[in-house]
Amino acid sequence: MKRVIQWWTEERRAYLLLVLPAVAVYWAVMAFPTVFSFALSLTNYNGGPVFSNPNIKFVGFEHYLRMFRDQYFWISLKNNTLIILVSVFGQIPLGFLFAYVIHRKLVKFRGFFQTIIYLPCVISTIIVGRLWRSFFSPYGPFTEFMQKFQPGWENELFFDPKLAIVPVLFVILWMYTGTYMIIFLANLQKIDPALIEAARIDGATEWQVLTRIMLPSLSGVIVTASILAISGSLKSFDLLFAMTAGNPARRTSVLALYMYDTAFKHSPKYPLANAISVFMVMLSLVLILLVKLTEAKFGGRE
Amino acid sequence: MMKQVKIRKSDFHPVLRAFVYLMALVFTVLTLYPLLWLVISSLKTNTEFQINILGWPQNPTLNNYPTAWRLAKFDTLFLNSLFFTTVSTLVVIGLSLMAGFAFAKLRSKATPFLHGSFIMGILLTLQSIMVPLFLMSVTTGLYDTRLGVLIPYVGMGLPIGVYLCTEFIKSIPDSVVESARIDGASYFRIFASIVAPMAAPVAVTLAILNVSGVWNEFMLINILVSRDALRTLPVGIHKFSGALASDHGRQFAALTIGLVPMVVFYLLFRKQITKGVSAGAIKG
Repeated sequence: MKRVIQWWTEERRAYLLLVLPAVAVYWAVMAFPTVFSFALSLTNYNGGPVFSNPNIKFVGFEHYLRMFRDQYFWISLKNNTLIILVSVFGQIPLGFLFAYVIHRKLVKFRGFFQTIIYLPCVISTIIVGRLWRSFFSPYGPFTEFMQKFQPGWENELFFDPKLAIVPVLFVILWMYTGTYMIIFLANLQKIDPALIEAARIDGATEWQVLTRIMLPSLSGVIVTASILAISGSLKSFDLLFAMTAGNPARRTSVLALYMYDTAFKHSPKYPLANAISVFMVMLSLVLILLVKLTEAKFGGRE
Repeated sequence: MMKQVKIRKSDFHPVLRAFVYLMALVFTVLTLYPLLWLVISSLKTNTEFQINILGWPQNPTLNNYPTAWRLAKFDTLFLNSLFFTTVSTLVVIGLSLMAGFAFAKLRSKATPFLHGSFIMGILLTLQSIMVPLFLMSVTTGLYDTRLGVLIPYVGMGLPIGVYLCTEFIKSIPDSVVESARIDGASYFRIFASIVAPMAAPVAVTLAILNVSGVWNEFMLINILVSRDALRTLPVGIHKFSGALASDHGRQFAALTIGLVPMVVFYLLFRKQITKGVSAGAIKG
């Protein structure tokens, strides 16, 4: 009895009560579903009660095999890859460029540019998607402009399965470059200005300041930005949902949309949807690990 | 001593300078022109829009606005968005501060594991758990209820919240807590009257992150709710503009109404928002 009392100190009690609400909510809606979805992906569960349901059978990796045979899975994966490429090789360099010229005061109207470039990120993605859908549609300004330059131009952006993803990629590039600009800007401000001043006084050119001082001290941030870009790209859902809904013929689908369609359109296929969700979690982990390994190999100093 | 070394013009190559200005200009036009076109188009009747897509309306009219407001039930949408955003933000801040205080200042062997689980959550893409969340909400009977939306919203805000609060409270000197202990204050008292007030800056950052996240959230609420009465702005606007896709004037009026709150919020709290975004972008 004595030992129990000693163990159950006020500190332990306080710790438990302070931590419990956050842990309970977080584990219930974030951690548990991840595990739950893996468990369900190995069964034939397709609605109805989950517990003591005699019809639920263990089917192993059947749904994963089905997923890999589905052409829409590959189309979605390809589009996600394109979005990752646009993010890592488009948004990040452009975001850095803007942050650099704003930080080094190389352009005028800095406050204005900064405000405008970040603006798209604060607007609801649904509204952005609907707006650009109208913008690129046959009755939108884009068609009008093209027809001014090229009379008789037919707008097939939303009908041609090969072209349909291009406006989406374009909007994604425009939309999120501001986020990376803000992140780089905040970290550039952490570099000691005296360091740059000293280098300049010693005769370093602006190019040397950029490549020898700024980029090396930002290498960790670039890794963080890449991780954000990858996990952000796998999150693409709202924009596509509002802009194309995956069409034409599901050619602009992404994994999240593919999963949504599988689960909620026509007759529900929950097991397959769960397999897709597990695949997405794994893919995200693997990609993040790859970025980490690349960092370890080429080692930035920080 | 010079304050800042002047950058000589020759240092920044004119071609590069032109390129930077061009890019900045392109981004500005891409942001402002569609918005301008949206607002102008919302002042046109449907008939006029069809013959005059780009120009200023001959007879500008505000009639689309009241109609769109009524048809899309904007008062319900606004109230719901306000409700979910306010409640989830307050709860996230409260729970994050509590857990952050415990992780930062109380000794426990469970901390590395529990704290680590929240860090994992920062990397978790919410999109990948939408199907299990839907199945869970149906199973527990929380489907189509306010609580069924609030709980995931809180859970989704917690990882970054717990991380930021733990880091912030760690920076408060241990001696503050210790001396209060010697004076006989309980841990809850120390939390409520010393630590929580000191953590106001991180609470502001967290509020900014959470408000912009929840206000614009679409995917989860679209899956977890089907009743009209529980819809928020993004869901309502999406349903409305889908149903009235060919009713351009009203659709554009609805989009404009939906745009205003976030743009105003952004212009008012520009500094805090950008600070919050860079604080939220932590190393994975």
